[in-house]
Amino acid sequence: MIVGTAVCPHPPLLLRELTGGEDVAAPLREACHGALAELAATAPDRLIVVGGGTSTGEHNDAPVPARAYGGDGPRVAQAEALPLSLAVARRLLDETGNELPVELHTVARDADAGEVAALAARLAGRGERVGLMVMGDGSARRGVKAPGHLDERSFAFDDTVHRAVSEGDTAALAGLDAGLAEELMAAGRAAWQVMAAAVELDGVPVRAGVRYADDPFGVQYLVGVWTCESS
Amino acid sequence: MLRLRGRDYGADTSLVMAIVNRTTDSFYDKGATWAEGPALERVRKVVDEGADIVDIGGIKAAPGEEIDADEEKRRVVDFVAAVRAEFPDLIISVDTWRATVGEAVCEAGADLLNDAWGGHDPGLAEVAAEQGAALVCTHTGGVTPRTRPHRVAYDDVVRDAIDSTVAQAERAVALGVDPASAIIDPAHDFGKNTWHSLELTRRLDEMVATGWPVLVSLSNKDFVGESLDLPVGERLTGTLAATAVSAWHGAQVYRVHEVAETRQVLDMVASIRGVRPPARTVRGLA
Repeated sequence: MIVGTAVCPHPPLLLRELTGGEDVAAPLREACHGALAELAATAPDRLIVVGGGTSTGEHNDAPVPARAYGGDGPRVAQAEALPLSLAVARRLLDETGNELPVELHTVARDADAGEVAALAARLAGRGERVGLMVMGDGSARRGVKAPGHLDERSFAFDDTVHRAVSEGDTAALAGLDAGLAEELMAAGRAAWQVMAAAVELDGVPVRAGVRYADDPFGVQYLVGVWTCESS
Repeated sequence: MLRLRGRDYGADTSLVMAIVNRTTDSFYDKGATWAEGPALERVRKVVDEGADIVDIGGIKAAPGEEIDADEEKRRVVDFVAAVRAEFPDLIISVDTWRATVGEAVCEAGADLLNDAWGGHDPGLAEVAAEQGAALVCTHTGGVTPRTRPHRVAYDDVVRDAIDSTVAQAERAVALGVDPASAIIDPAHDFGKNTWHSLELTRRLDEMVATGWPVLVSLSNKDFVGESLDLPVGERLTGTLAATAVSAWHGAQVYRVHEVAETRQVLDMVASIRGVRPPARTVRGLA
């Protein structure tokens, strides 16, 4: 059963070596570490990471492709490295000294409801205590200097996600419009929906909260935590 | 490895040496820091702008009024002491070719003797050794101090510069100068025409390959002016271009008039070389 979830964003700049002399993402990284600590406090036996990707599938552990984004370290062909969302998760887990077994999944960012439900069914209903680490970003169109320039619809979309995560509202996440999310460059939509669907299969969130929500570079970053009980 | 005032600097660390003239007639500042007050103000300004070293000089390089050793000492020794008192950690260099002056400034607190006339007075290296000072060994082609080049010719100016400066550095070390504190300088424009200085810049990597730390003094010099057909006062861009090329080749110390601009160029080249992380990178990574 799923005993808790932690929601984190996955911008490359969470990898410390990518931002040069200044650690621009320090507060965000700290919030992610805090969310992982809260997730660990739910005493899971295993962590399952679900992050947005180009396709849906389970991944073996692999190197973090920091070099592909300009950092130091060995060159690893991107095909042989973790996809970005899982790579950031891997780094956050390493930074927090995780020792639990970790299972890595991507969900296609354009996944439809059936694909989301199928993955959720794989993650729910297990005999062991599962902590879900969900990697997803909000809209990348939250200002004229944002990666995707300004789309005013971003604010309502991200507010919906914020409210749903802060209140443990699985139905609100399930109701996010996939087409709108794609237009708004919101990479987290499918991953959040997998979380909502898996938690619904297993139980209910009894405590929910947002630990960070900001868009310092035009992309909405949301960190949140759910503690769950079986229904 | 470069060691100055007891501090070690790796090969990828560049240092800016700001020129402070106690002269009435230097070509660039034309006496602006002749008086002690303005000269100290200049030191404060360049330190604030990020200078690692100040290079204090009492005699202009070009021909001019005769300045004997006593007058040179009057211009620089007490001033060195004043700078040392106000800036206990600052690396102080003095631009002189005279051993007697070198000895006096070291006793007043100087760390580095900039022998800009290439060992004209062999006693200067002995003073550096005795005083535990660092020494800049420059290439002048053997000319007399304060003379202009006239029909100078070299079989290979870079070879000549390497042979001369390395020999001076080795002699200094044999006399007792710390091997990490002997610096070599091809001395652009000194005993050279513009073609020679351009070739030295182009092939500066060959000097760097000797393993001795390399100092370049490019600032607003005639080789920049002749290359661009620009008078003194309009040579900063050309100076910075030469600075960037020298930095790419691995020069470590830059003797300059304009500190802030030089620091920016050196930081930028260091980031391009991959030895200095950019200050703050977000573009494309959010």
